[in-house]
Amino acid sequence: MITRRDVLKIGTATAATLACAGLPSAQERTELRVISLANWDERVTSEGLVKPIEAAAPVRLQVERIPFNQLMQALEVRLGARGPDPDVYIVDGPLTASYALRGHLLALDDLIDKKAIAPSAVAACSYKGKQYSAPLANTATVLFYNAALFEKAGIEPPSPDPTKRWTWEHTKEVAKALADASSGVWGLAWDQSERPYEMLPLGQSLGGVALSEDGLTASGYMDSDEFVRAWTFMQSFYNENLSPKGLFDIPVVWELFSTGKLAMMIGLTAGRDTFVKAGVPFGVAPAPYFESGKPVSTTGGWTFGVNPRTEKREASEAFIRALMEPAVQEQFLRSRPYPPFLTALWTRMSDYYSGDMWRIVEYDYANTAVARPSTPGYREYEEILRLALRDIQTGADPKSTLTAAARKTDRELRKYRS
Amino acid sequence: MQTKWWTPYLFVSLAMLGLFVFRFAPIGAALWGSLQETSLTGEVRFAGLENYTYLFSDPTFWNSIRVTLLFNLVINPLQVVCAMVLALMLVRPGPFLGVFRASFMAPMTVSIALTAVIWGILLEPTLGPVNGFLKWLGVPPQPFFRSADQAIWSIIGIATWKGAGYWMIFLLAGLIAIPRDVLEAAEIDGAGWWSRLVFIILPLMKRPLAFVLVADTAINFLMFAPPYIITQGGPAGTTHLLMFEAYQSAFTYFDHGRAMAISVIVLAMILLIVGLELRLLRPKGAH
Repeated sequence: MITRRDVLKIGTATAATLACAGLPSAQERTELRVISLANWDERVTSEGLVKPIEAAAPVRLQVERIPFNQLMQALEVRLGARGPDPDVYIVDGPLTASYALRGHLLALDDLIDKKAIAPSAVAACSYKGKQYSAPLANTATVLFYNAALFEKAGIEPPSPDPTKRWTWEHTKEVAKALADASSGVWGLAWDQSERPYEMLPLGQSLGGVALSEDGLTASGYMDSDEFVRAWTFMQSFYNENLSPKGLFDIPVVWELFSTGKLAMMIGLTAGRDTFVKAGVPFGVAPAPYFESGKPVSTTGGWTFGVNPRTEKREASEAFIRALMEPAVQEQFLRSRPYPPFLTALWTRMSDYYSGDMWRIVEYDYANTAVARPSTPGYREYEEILRLALRDIQTGADPKSTLTAAARKTDRELRKYRS
Repeated sequence: MQTKWWTPYLFVSLAMLGLFVFRFAPIGAALWGSLQETSLTGEVRFAGLENYTYLFSDPTFWNSIRVTLLFNLVINPLQVVCAMVLALMLVRPGPFLGVFRASFMAPMTVSIALTAVIWGILLEPTLGPVNGFLKWLGVPPQPFFRSADQAIWSIIGIATWKGAGYWMIFLLAGLIAIPRDVLEAAEIDGAGWWSRLVFIILPLMKRPLAFVLVADTAINFLMFAPPYIITQGGPAGTTHLLMFEAYQSAFTYFDHGRAMAISVIVLAMILLIVGLELRLLRPKGAH
């Protein structure tokens, strides 16, 4: 007679056999040194990245997590040594061309099915027709608002309908009405107020173009009337005490919103879980645009690339193959609310990508998203503009600051002309 | 006992080896590197003085020179004066002397990077506790590192907070070494505290003061962490010290030759200024 214990034994043995057959054994695994983002906490890194990839490829990941604000500098130091470490590393999409040109990325054409990826992502991950980075998480920004503060002030909150998005002019008036210095409440903040990623859409909304078509000239673009006007408007939020000056860390701005000290925030969708966890009553609306302009929204995100000097090329390629599997990407995206790069995931994860926030993102990707400029000198461009935006925020004259920054960018981009 | 002629050389050989490996070799490498250009793909070619001519035509570099000189012109005398005042206060016997000495020395146990992080939080204009305290006192909040007028002074302030206690130790040792009978004789002759300080203590302190000033100058010319961690050289380039520019050249603009050239220029500036300081503080009659 078969007892319950026998059933359990058989079940356990079957599961173990299947596991052994399906997964590479511990001895066969190759250890890979991976540089990733510290903003993805232990849980996201372990459950969303390490476990699914280790389950799909014969690798063991040794992940080093670096905070976003130090990531680019740390990668430059490590890659600059031109050694085999790290094997695989995280790449901010627009930096793909910069790393590829300098010989820091391995071409991945044979490992990635380009048809499965959003066309804008294929372009962002390519350099001179070759695919150099594997996209994992796209990004998008929306307008988060504190529903309780709106209700208390008797102001109607913005609509989640992308066709009824607020203008910047109206948003500022509402920010003025909601800011309350006595209780320490700010009207509005950007969670990346120094980053071109979040600041370029303001100027682009007025018709500004970030860089010349060949990506090598900033003068006349970065300091064009459209950007000067847009960032003078941005500066007015700080001058009029509607926005907190000098908060350049994403988690700090999220904390401000989570604690009810911020009425509105232009922020990454990735912040949503933090706000839910904090219990702040919030709503989501599309990012505003200028009355005289057109809506422009953000796109582009996190990808992974392989160091061409790795001594574990086979395992690194296995990592990329695993990363591009829809099931692996799904597990990651469920652990952190980013939009997907793989187009099929919108349908496959329709239960997850539902609600106002994702409807806005899907609409914006289809209608208003503009990628950051495509240039091999994106690192220099971003850094110079980032410091200029900091200066404008703290009171510098926008026109002269941008003109000086554009000249400096031209100077630094000159080396890519030859 | 008769020693072999090479015995003294044997004793200093390890120190000389260290000096060569950790001091002269990096200086030589920087000098050689400043005459080379590394391409974006890592190939190196001899560039002669190109890196220097490029630097001299760059307004950012000249701004860094100006900021670095201003910074050092203020911070070096300030730190030495603060250290001397602290040392004079703590050389006299009194209650809780050990507690005071330890508390002034405590900041030196914190690295400059950590100092920058701590003060960056304390002086944060929006959420920092210092502005909260000022608000409580009825004083309007200050922008500190976010103001072109206050940022460099805030950095000078935190660097002095960390440095003054450290340099105090050397000056305190110098003060303790001054023979008591000299001071007592002056006191019996009717010299007041000020006269003793100006005519006896300071002349006898020239050697320790020279050491502190020279070492302090070298350290402050190489200041990097506060601009990197707190201000990123801003606002409007007002804290863009030369070492930060060297760092940006290497790791943001991928121009290692330019970074090396800046390092060589910093070294030359230090040598020149230290030479002047030593000449100024040379004890009378010394050769």
